[in-house]
Amino acid sequence: MNKKEIGLEEALDDLERIVSELEEGKRGLEESLDLYEKGMKLVKLCNARLEGAERRIESLTGEVPPDLI
Amino acid sequence: MTQIFTVTDLNERIKDRLENDPRLHDLWAQGEVSNFVHHRSGHRYFTLKDRDSQISCVLFKNQADRLGFELKDGLNILVYGDIAVYRPQGRVQLVARGIKQDVGLGFRHLQFEALKKKLAGEGLFDLERKRALPRYPERIGIVTSPQGAALRDVLRIIGPYPARIILSPAQVQGEGAEESIVSALLALHGLTDVVIVCRGGGSTEDLWCFNAEAVARAIIGCDSPVISAVGHETDVTIADFVADMRAATPTAAAKMAVPDIGELIEGLQQSEVRMMRALWTSLERKEERLEYLRHSISARRMYSLAADARQRLDYLGERLASALVAELGARRVRLELVQGRLAAVGPLATLLRGYAVVRSNHGLILRAEDASPGEVVELILGEGRLMCRVLEIKDGSEVFLE
Repeated sequence: MNKKEIGLEEALDDLERIVSELEEGKRGLEESLDLYEKGMKLVKLCNARLEGAERRIESLTGEVPPDLI
Repeated sequence: MTQIFTVTDLNERIKDRLENDPRLHDLWAQGEVSNFVHHRSGHRYFTLKDRDSQISCVLFKNQADRLGFELKDGLNILVYGDIAVYRPQGRVQLVARGIKQDVGLGFRHLQFEALKKKLAGEGLFDLERKRALPRYPERIGIVTSPQGAALRDVLRIIGPYPARIILSPAQVQGEGAEESIVSALLALHGLTDVVIVCRGGGSTEDLWCFNAEAVARAIIGCDSPVISAVGHETDVTIADFVADMRAATPTAAAKMAVPDIGELIEGLQQSEVRMMRALWTSLERKEERLEYLRHSISARRMYSLAADARQRLDYLGERLASALVAELGARRVRLELVQGRLAAVGPLATLLRGYAVVRSNHGLILRAEDASPGEVVELILGEGRLMCRVLEIKDGSEVFLE
């Protein structure tokens, strides 16, 4: 699956799950490191989504009022 | 030059001015009846009002009798007539020459109630069929007028939240508004995660299209949850009843539709910190365990174990030695004891009293004749022995004992 296709919701849900799992501390070191890495990737992904977002407005009739673009 | 009017003159002048204004004659005014008085004279007096203002009205008896219906408070009417000034009270009033019931609005209200009842009867207002809004919508559809302030309010709140915003333009008041809203909603099918239907404040008339059954059914038919925000807080439309969420204003609708981006970013930072902390904690725990294990097998510990063993060995050795000594001691005591008893029964004690045992190479000499002169005999005494040569043999009668 292409990472770009992961939705914000899915990414945030995954992240929440990873954080809880890490906090539980039941995983081995190797697995914990993997989880951490995965989590950090998700954080970066979400941050990029949230910060790099450009306003994308489109109109079904094709005309977006100029003051909104 | 300043003119000083009497009150009468002033009212006269106002009256002239108003009553000669053609725009204030043969006019229609729309409003609601209040303070209705059916005077003894047969004239009717009432106030015509709308939300923000009111004006006195009079309907004279001859016109009133031809009306065909009776006025009452709360009735929406259209008044045809002229503006006049009632000089004694200096009052501007509308003199009615004809009155029509405002059937349109009244009919609409009845229609509103009927539709509300019908849709409620179908269970369309039930809370169970309201869909939950997505937490992080990626596609937000907006049905409203592209020119309206409502759209700008919504966009301002959505701000930099990263969603595709799909505007489905609609005419939100006037002739054709219902159809326009319905097709705008239909056009969004399959394109959105959440839909906001909104328009800013306006008169009841302006908002009326949101009370249309077709609009209500189009909202219900939407394939994603719908937030309605029509007019102000106090305006409630059928659209609000059937929508999955009703917002008081377009701004409030936008706040419902998207999460706060600042909170989201803060949440991400917290996740980062929590993961880091969890990882460190787990690393520390593992390090502690490692340290514990390392300590357990350290050379020092081994040495100390060896020292322990050695010490124990020494201890055991000592115990063994002392056990041996004790055993030997016990044996010696026993030996001496046995020796004593042996001595007691043996000849030694007799010898110690002065007797001696004499023996020769042939054995014990018990009689003098057992020896021969010149022979060497051995005398065993209490202590030591004497080797003697026999000088002479004598018989027993010559032996003297003391």
